[in-house]
Amino acid sequence: MRRLIPTVGLRAIPVGAAVAFLATYPLYHSNVETLKFTLVGIYLIAILGLNILTGYSGQISLGHGAFIGIGAYTTAILVDKTSLSDVATIPLAGLVAGAIGFLFGFPALRLHGVYLALATFGAAVAFIQLVQSVHYQSFTGGATGLFYGLPKNPYYLTWGIAAALYAAAWLLVHSKLGRALTAVRDAPIAAVSSGVNLALAKTLAFGIASAYAGVAGSLLAIRLGSVNPYSFPVALSILLLTGAALGGLGTLNGVVFGALFIQFAPDFAIDHVSKTAPEVAYGLILLAVLFLMPGGAGELLHRLGGLLKKAAKPLYSRTADRAEAVVTSTRSDT
Amino acid sequence: MKKGLLALIAVGAALVLGLPAAFGGSSADPGVTARSITLGGTFPLTGAAASYAPIPRGMAAYFSYRNATKVNGKRGANGRQIIWKFYDDVYNPTNTVTQTQRLVEQDHVFALVGGLGTEPQEAVVDYANSKKVPQIYVSTGATEWGSKHKEHPWTIGWQPDYQAEAAIYGRYIRDHIPAAKLAVLYQNDSYGQDYNAGLVGALGKAADEKIVSTRTFNVTDPSVTTQLVALRASGADTLVIFATPSKTIQTYATIARLGWKPAHIILNSVSATQTFMGIAVNLAGAATVNGSISVYYTKDPANPSWDNDAGMKLYKSIMARFLPDADAKNGLYLYGMAKAYSTIKAIEGAGKNLTRASLMKSVDHMTDTTNPFLLPKVVVKTNAPKDNFPISQQALIQFKDGQWNPISGLIDTRPKG
Amino acid sequence: MLAFTWTQFWQQVVSGLSDGSIYATLALALVLIHRATGVVNFAQGNMGMFSTFIAWWLIYQETGPGLTFWLGFALVTLMSFVGGAVIYGVVIRPLQRGGELAIVIGTIALLILFQGLAGWIWNPEPKAFKSPFPNSQLHIGDVVISWLWVGTILVSLGCVAVVFLFFRLTRTGLMMRAAALRANTSRLMGIRVTLMLALGWGLAAALSAVAGMMAAPSLGTLDPFFMLSVLVYAFAAAVLGGIDSPIGAVVGAYILGVGISLLSTYVNYITVDSQLNLPVALAILLVILLFRPSGLFGRAVVRRV
Repeated sequence: MRRLIPTVGLRAIPVGAAVAFLATYPLYHSNVETLKFTLVGIYLIAILGLNILTGYSGQISLGHGAFIGIGAYTTAILVDKTSLSDVATIPLAGLVAGAIGFLFGFPALRLHGVYLALATFGAAVAFIQLVQSVHYQSFTGGATGLFYGLPKNPYYLTWGIAAALYAAAWLLVHSKLGRALTAVRDAPIAAVSSGVNLALAKTLAFGIASAYAGVAGSLLAIRLGSVNPYSFPVALSILLLTGAALGGLGTLNGVVFGALFIQFAPDFAIDHVSKTAPEVAYGLILLAVLFLMPGGAGELLHRLGGLLKKAAKPLYSRTADRAEAVVTSTRSDT
Repeated sequence: MKKGLLALIAVGAALVLGLPAAFGGSSADPGVTARSITLGGTFPLTGAAASYAPIPRGMAAYFSYRNATKVNGKRGANGRQIIWKFYDDVYNPTNTVTQTQRLVEQDHVFALVGGLGTEPQEAVVDYANSKKVPQIYVSTGATEWGSKHKEHPWTIGWQPDYQAEAAIYGRYIRDHIPAAKLAVLYQNDSYGQDYNAGLVGALGKAADEKIVSTRTFNVTDPSVTTQLVALRASGADTLVIFATPSKTIQTYATIARLGWKPAHIILNSVSATQTFMGIAVNLAGAATVNGSISVYYTKDPANPSWDNDAGMKLYKSIMARFLPDADAKNGLYLYGMAKAYSTIKAIEGAGKNLTRASLMKSVDHMTDTTNPFLLPKVVVKTNAPKDNFPISQQALIQFKDGQWNPISGLIDTRPKG
Repeated sequence: MLAFTWTQFWQQVVSGLSDGSIYATLALALVLIHRATGVVNFAQGNMGMFSTFIAWWLIYQETGPGLTFWLGFALVTLMSFVGGAVIYGVVIRPLQRGGELAIVIGTIALLILFQGLAGWIWNPEPKAFKSPFPNSQLHIGDVVISWLWVGTILVSLGCVAVVFLFFRLTRTGLMMRAAALRANTSRLMGIRVTLMLALGWGLAAALSAVAGMMAAPSLGTLDPFFMLSVLVYAFAAAVLGGIDSPIGAVVGAYILGVGISLLSTYVNYITVDSQLNLPVALAILLVILLFRPSGLFGRAVVRRV
């Protein structure tokens, strides 16, 4: 805990700047420009969840889009068929997706690496086909989907929730459970022998990650006013994994970059690089970013932060440094 | 003085009646000035549906041609230069909503034209209608674009709808091969379901007895062999295919490999272009493909029988001038041009006082027989609220010796009456 | 629902085998990459797609050189081998410092890049890619077997035989296995690990080229997207067989093909709604994995926890 205090001090500046930027952004930007940042917020929430799962507990997921879909359909069905207001459905969407994710975590316990990747990928494929299936049409709207309102721009709602969930994620990874997750990822034997319930930690990570995705999905459903299986393609799961990787796994600092990238890079590629070969442009941009920071933005920030700290060393107490050293040494114990 | 008073009364009356159009002269709607008109649409330019990207590019080529050329003494659309903006939505409704809002709220388009795909366009119907922005000539044949005029008066399709097309096949079977035992293979999404519903509807009570077996597939299935083995075993002698082009070609190839020769094969028009049939012949052999039956309503640039047609010559000259690197044999460019032609017609029909409301009035009450890219005599005709299907005429065609030949005159898919 | 007949049953088994042959070779390629680099190469299918486009240009395009099929086939396979090794050196190796996920994302970038390149160079309109094997059939009783299916199946079996023998019998094969399994020890023993891993990528790229050229005629059209669905099934097949077992990958592919074929024929709930065949197949696969977490042929890794 001692370590946190100086870190908060250093972070206050960028965090404050980000809050000021986001709070005032709609004042001097059009609805359409603002909308894009609403989507960034939604992706941010989803990537936070994916980062808890993949970055902190080490379980790879190619099916995060399915849990966004579950959240979105929960909101859509509730708004369409009950008198609940859309905002009221957000926690429910998080709960439903979280519960399904938690249950999904049990079979996933037995699977590792690529086997787990396939299982989660299967979830992404199955989700689309299940909601599209004629058997459940009366409920999900089948291939046509559900229509329950006009597109909205829940900008402040999204960023309010995103800020709260960011803080929650930060508290989580610095809590006992967070440390347990990291320990499970880095040194499972040591973790178990020091009393960590491995199965519970891993399934909880699945549940929490899915709940985050569910909330993101719910916000997306509110934003769109309609849901359709085509809104949750397998490509969405892969896009989110890309965002999580570019943000940097196992750190929350760079997540915003991942969200910004997946929202803006495709448009940038087609509008400013190449109209005739946008996919070539996007592929090259993605590769270039990967080459510049293979560990994601988080790692880059960490390195920059290290440089800053060195420069500002006299300002900090030695205990903080020592605590930092302990943390890094447990990390590299793979 | 008297004149002034009359004008005042007229303005007052117009305001009361809520007809801002009566202001005359300048229009208050966004996206239109005395010299230009801005139109926009969303299309999949990347991703797995990017093969439709020629449609907006064909539209762009035709708009550029009209902007540069005087037709009936005027350039562009009734003297206004057309500014055409189209954005990529990757066939994902999430993107369609955002890109459509970008077109309407940021680019201030006058109207949304030609937006592609049933699911993506459905996601913006309520938005366009609540904003009273025309969403015209969407590039999908779902039946709802014409059947729900009351719910969304600012939205309309263009091409013949899938159900009506399937009904032509139903009537053809009833009249020409009444003893046929049908095997139906359709794509399990709203597109295939729409077609299948049309066929079953047209066969009526006889459907259960005539259709001996039905199988579906997913677009993402690598193969349709299992389905075709089952259909073949049902003892059917007529195969009906409602699929997208790749799957249709795969179906031909697979039945050739199974050694199955149905007496009749019927396929939907989307897959029945000369180019796709050429690939099918290449893979499955002419013996399997010959005799297939479908319908068409546009001219096919890959079919040599149109080579001397004036409309086709115009199409090819526009392609050579504005899209020199593109494959002019791809019928989707022509489809885009035909749609662009109807769009300009509709704008011209709205008259001098161009507003969104007057455009819709023109779109909803149109009779145009001049589209050079459609089959001769095809009428683009609407009469709201009774008839909201702009194109509803198609001709039956049969594939023989490497090309399609008409086997019927124009059939009205939505007989008025 | 038709009455059950053995002819129909065996016919569906055959059709399942022909489907399996479409995924088998690509599944094999995925296994090689996983052995060499420890990741699933998402670009594997699209690398094969791109190779098939080159083959199309060499063999079928009117303005191309018009080679015979097998000459074009051999040339493209060779070119893909070199291309795969180059991709390893230029893209994958530099990303290794970012860990496995960086490589995975790198392969996703390659997937998009190849898709875009193919569409840009040859335009995304579908093309005909004819098989070297005839459509004519062989009859066993009432069961129909196309020679094209026989040819495709034999090619996939040939590929796995070559890979198996290469790893078992040649010195290079042995060094490649060593490099993949214990990089540091191998390095100490004088094996040029980087070269071995590049060879692994080259071999996988050559296999995916074969997979593409065999799959294109079965899938109907050649376009920049045709290998995406094949990749999904090949991935499932490789995992079912055990991601590090070449034989497992091919057997897995055939089990998957026959399994889906029989499921969608005899399970009524799926027959009416084909939308469910993949979810059901994946659910069954998941259950199998729960009992055999390393796939059917994978060596069970003893885990510490």
